[in-house]
Amino acid sequence: MGATFVITLREAFEASLILGIVYTYLDKIGARDQYRHVTLGGVLGLLASVGLGVGIGFLSGPLLDLGPDLITAAVIFLAVGLLTWHAWWMQQHARAIRGHVQLRIDEARATQRLWIVTLIAFTGVFREGAETVLFLWGLMAQASSASGWANVLGGVAGVGTAAALGWTIFRGGHHLSLPHFFAATTVLIMLLAAGLFSTGVGRLQGLGFLPMTDALWDTSWLLSDRGLVGGFLGGLVGYRAQPSAFEAGAYALYLVAAGFLLFGHLFAAPETNGQPAAERTPARRD
Amino acid sequence: MRGFPLLMAAAAGLALLIAPGPIPAAHAQTEVALTIENNRFQPEEIKVKAGAAWVLVITNKDKGPEEFESKDLRIERVIPAGKTVRLRMPALKTGAYGFVGEYHEKTAKGRIVAE
Repeated sequence: MGATFVITLREAFEASLILGIVYTYLDKIGARDQYRHVTLGGVLGLLASVGLGVGIGFLSGPLLDLGPDLITAAVIFLAVGLLTWHAWWMQQHARAIRGHVQLRIDEARATQRLWIVTLIAFTGVFREGAETVLFLWGLMAQASSASGWANVLGGVAGVGTAAALGWTIFRGGHHLSLPHFFAATTVLIMLLAAGLFSTGVGRLQGLGFLPMTDALWDTSWLLSDRGLVGGFLGGLVGYRAQPSAFEAGAYALYLVAAGFLLFGHLFAAPETNGQPAAERTPARRD
Repeated sequence: MRGFPLLMAAAAGLALLIAPGPIPAAHAQTEVALTIENNRFQPEEIKVKAGAAWVLVITNKDKGPEEFESKDLRIERVIPAGKTVRLRMPALKTGAYGFVGEYHEKTAKGRIVAE
């Protein structure tokens, strides 16, 4: 029972974090009435997971050999792109608030962005969803004994605990001011997306699109990424006990690029308020 | 979401393009069979030649799905019940690479030895 609990908890934790980010985002900008956009994305992600889980049983030949791997890799990079976009948008918004340029939220623009929130929720759930669905499915198929059902129970409890954890983390963001919440979430998204990006690059290595390299270091003696704590850190900040050079490089590269994109203005425009306006305008033009 | 069917189609298209089909070059690669039965791998140790790409042919004879996972090789792959999946494996350096069946980690363990 314990083993299945850990597996589903590990798989579902990242999804619950991502859902937490977007739900709380809507809450903070005063758009709780738009929660259904996130819920819709999550439900669609779940349906797609079940669909893929069932569908792969019907595939054969090259489609079965490579199709699921390519879909997984595509979803990972899509999630990285969407999360980065979301963080960038939050930064624009935070700067607008800080500069007292525009205090109210532009309703129309916020509404136009809701499909991104839906997509983020979708990719968050779908990324490891099919695996989790198949895992639980397999447990149920083999649950003929009492211990078998205990395994199923453990698996379901793992998903539930992951959801509760995601929720708890974001309850903490409740009393932060909007700019502080945006800043904290942006940092969290950066770390999460950096981890995802490095996972995606690792997958490309596994698929043979990038050459194999040795592990750069091995900290599995200290903290295994298969355990509970290591698994959490894996979801949260992309911790890996034996990263390849490509994975570590991708992580660093993403952090530098995203850091520049999201926080570059902090260093670029130190004092005058009027000067860096030119650099900001593209953000507000649409 | 509208992009999703497109994504699936693109992924499928890409799969067809780069998959080892009836392309002559694919025949040159060694194939190694691995069977999953009673939540165990058979054989539990696979020997391959270092420095040459190869193909791992995994057959799941169990009633439930299994996930072939190798942290060392960055592979995570679900093998549905009763199915066979061909994984193109990269050329490996000399050494041992562990793998597990993630859904039955206690029993399903093995390693690939490249020499």
